[in-house]
Amino acid sequence: MTLLILMVTAYVAGAVGALLFGEGAAGRGVASFGAAVGSGAGLALGLTAIAPGESGQMLILAPMRLLPLTGMMLRLDGLSAFFLIIVGLIGLAVALYGFSYSTAYEGRYSLRMLGAMLNVLLLSLSMQVMADNALTFLIVWEAMSLSAYWLVLTENDKGETVRAAVWYIAMTHAGFAALVAMFLLLSGGDLTASFAGMRENAAALSPAMRNVIFLLALFGFSTKAGVVPLHVWLPMAHPVAPSHVSALMSGVVIKMGIYGLLRVALDLLGSGPVWWGGIVLGAGAVSAVLGVLYALMEHDLKRLLAYHSVENIGIILIGIGSGMIFQSYGLMALASLGFIGGLYHTVNHAAFKALLFLGAGSVLHATHTSNMEKMGGLIKRMPVTAFCFLIGSAAISALPPLNGFASEWIIFQSLLGGFNIPKPEVAVMMPIAVGMLALTSGLAAACFVKAFGITFLAIPRSGEAGKASEAPLSMRAAMVLLALACVALGLTPFIVVPALGQVIAGLGHLSDIPVRFTLGLSLDSPNGFGRMSPTLIGAGLLLLLALVPMVMLLLRVNWKVRVGESWGCGRLGQTPRMEYTATAFAEPLRRVFAELYRPTRELTIDFHPESKYFVQSIEYRSEITPWFEKYLYEPCLWLVRLLATVVRRLQSGSLNAYLVYVTIALVILLLTARI
Amino acid sequence: MNDHDTLFAQLSTLSASLVLLFGIALLWRRSLGAYIKAFRWQSLVLSLAFVMIGYFGHDPELYIIAAALLALKVFIIPWYLTRLQMRVGTEREVQPYVNIATSLIVAGLLVMLAYAITRPLVMVSKLPTRGAIPLAVGLIFVGLFVIVSRRKALTQIVGFLVLENGIALLAALCTYGIPLIVELGVFLDVLMGFLVMQIIVYHISSTFESIDVEQLSQLKH
Repeated sequence: MTLLILMVTAYVAGAVGALLFGEGAAGRGVASFGAAVGSGAGLALGLTAIAPGESGQMLILAPMRLLPLTGMMLRLDGLSAFFLIIVGLIGLAVALYGFSYSTAYEGRYSLRMLGAMLNVLLLSLSMQVMADNALTFLIVWEAMSLSAYWLVLTENDKGETVRAAVWYIAMTHAGFAALVAMFLLLSGGDLTASFAGMRENAAALSPAMRNVIFLLALFGFSTKAGVVPLHVWLPMAHPVAPSHVSALMSGVVIKMGIYGLLRVALDLLGSGPVWWGGIVLGAGAVSAVLGVLYALMEHDLKRLLAYHSVENIGIILIGIGSGMIFQSYGLMALASLGFIGGLYHTVNHAAFKALLFLGAGSVLHATHTSNMEKMGGLIKRMPVTAFCFLIGSAAISALPPLNGFASEWIIFQSLLGGFNIPKPEVAVMMPIAVGMLALTSGLAAACFVKAFGITFLAIPRSGEAGKASEAPLSMRAAMVLLALACVALGLTPFIVVPALGQVIAGLGHLSDIPVRFTLGLSLDSPNGFGRMSPTLIGAGLLLLLALVPMVMLLLRVNWKVRVGESWGCGRLGQTPRMEYTATAFAEPLRRVFAELYRPTRELTIDFHPESKYFVQSIEYRSEITPWFEKYLYEPCLWLVRLLATVVRRLQSGSLNAYLVYVTIALVILLLTARI
Repeated sequence: MNDHDTLFAQLSTLSASLVLLFGIALLWRRSLGAYIKAFRWQSLVLSLAFVMIGYFGHDPELYIIAAALLALKVFIIPWYLTRLQMRVGTEREVQPYVNIATSLIVAGLLVMLAYAITRPLVMVSKLPTRGAIPLAVGLIFVGLFVIVSRRKALTQIVGFLVLENGIALLAALCTYGIPLIVELGVFLDVLMGFLVMQIIVYHISSTFESIDVEQLSQLKH
């Protein structure tokens, strides 16, 4: 309780302080301090709630009224606590990072707004997961969307930013409308009814109504989470926002979609028919594969990361979807495993994606560009950033012993249990999902070889990259914090998984007693299908690292370090133009998946007027077909414009016409209101 | 029903009909002078109707309201309107959106509509004045129709005032006078609204050199 009050107070103080002190170091400091203390308190609150107390039970705060007479209610249970930890962890890193990162904005853009809205966003995220009735949930949801909108709009003099912000706000409000409808149906019209009451109400609804509610919830939460095909705002909004805001949005804000889906589908509705899980699983698999495929073709570092968010949301949904399928067949142990995998990947993705965005922000800070083709050689100039980015890349590529591996392994385990499903036509979905998940992981690894290699290795491709310098202390500290979190989460699944088991225990007919996993240092899945121990793998890796110098010592290798050009190939000098580019790296995959990308190529060669053996310049341009923008959103926009044109005719500008509207409205009202 | 009530019923229907008739008179006249004159007569009959209702309904407060109504709507507002007309408006309502013959038919239809709408109210009412209620509602519709179908700002103002008269008549017929304080508030509202409109008319006139509201659509872009 004290922690809760501390958290709210700190955020509010941070927001007000940022508005008061405004531009300059004082404003930055106050905003960051408020956000850091607030998220620290939130993190502590989540951890104390989730840690088993003396009785072995989780601390659950009873429902409490937030402000008298407003009907706002908060409650903290396991699921809330888990997401509160994510908000706290990422919030802490983002607050630290923002202190130095926002110096670049001083004098150019409004620091007041940036600092205040960051605190408001963190506060609303923390309240979001604790909301205990639909009214609170919706109000805070809107506060979260709007504060994120302001944050995206920080660089408000760029057309691209404004466009991205408009897309974001339009999409999120489409989702919001669905959520309002969903909660109205679910609560029987009384938005102030507590979630406990709604749970009872939901059980009594007809199956058709439950289906409608589920579909509305899926649509509403998917727009926030960025599930294909509702993902289009992600690659627009994330790159234009300040990097720490991108980290927060990608790491936490889109996770609220996952939280909402779990809260409604698993907690309030309980369970549903098999096809609910099927839809979630399918949407997840499609998002995962398409997300990573589009990411491969991106050469803007932050857009690339944004597409990876789509991919990882997909992976999370694969876990949750498989959990829902098992749940509806009554295979509760496997269901728990699926949900645990999804949740585990949620926190993991939050950690490594925030880390990667912060790393990209440092690169942006140093080179003033986010185009990968203009980077290179940064590992020598920014070693800490490069190392942290490498850890993040390895984690997102699901390499052991980092956290991405642990959670994807659990999701695989859950999917591999699919043969337990009695119906073969459903069971066959599982191996397909396994295949798609495997493809995704492989492509993600390829993509991050590109991202890391082109950005940090080789020689600088532009003057700015050559002059880059390491990020300031607070930014480095934030990145190291998240890198440590990635390692820790990866090495300790034997602690995380039981904790997550407790988080979801009791929700949606999952057994009250959390499924016991055999937990020594190794991790067993309940069906005994496989076992692994990231801890041992980590220890093994350390041992291997130690072995290399030992072997070298044994073989009496020459220890002298030679400095030379890498891949010199006998040339006299190397220029950046000889380097491998990101486009070239992705070209093989572009060919392989040409059916999907439908690339348009354009090659222009200028010859010397005297002889065509002297080429003056070669211009190569290649673009991929944006399917969703072109075939889904353009018709939608066209329809909206058409309707708007029709409606616009009402606005004739003639005074008499408006008076006629009033008269007609009055007459119709009188005619219809007669009793 | 005793004689007293019968007389009351007949008198209220008569006065309401007269008030409505002056409202409809607006529709067949073109010059602004005629509009103002019709409004003046209508207001006079309206204040007489208030006196009558006050007498039969035993509510002396209505006498005060009738006096105020007389002062405001028979003298002050018509006087202002005439002054306004001298300044800006020698323009006649040459071409209304709806021509005069059609306007009269529409007015007839509107009164029928008023009867249709108020039927349930009249059926359950036990007031002696119930027969006049549809006429008052009809007057409200006619006032609205004047505003909608005429294109000079001044004629629209008169239409608004007629509409207001209809509301006052309806209130008096249904309730025998709403509380004095409310009635005075309404008067003040009318006066303020009228003054604001007057200022706007000056502006329209000086901007467009005409008081045809058609010109206002130029402001759209």
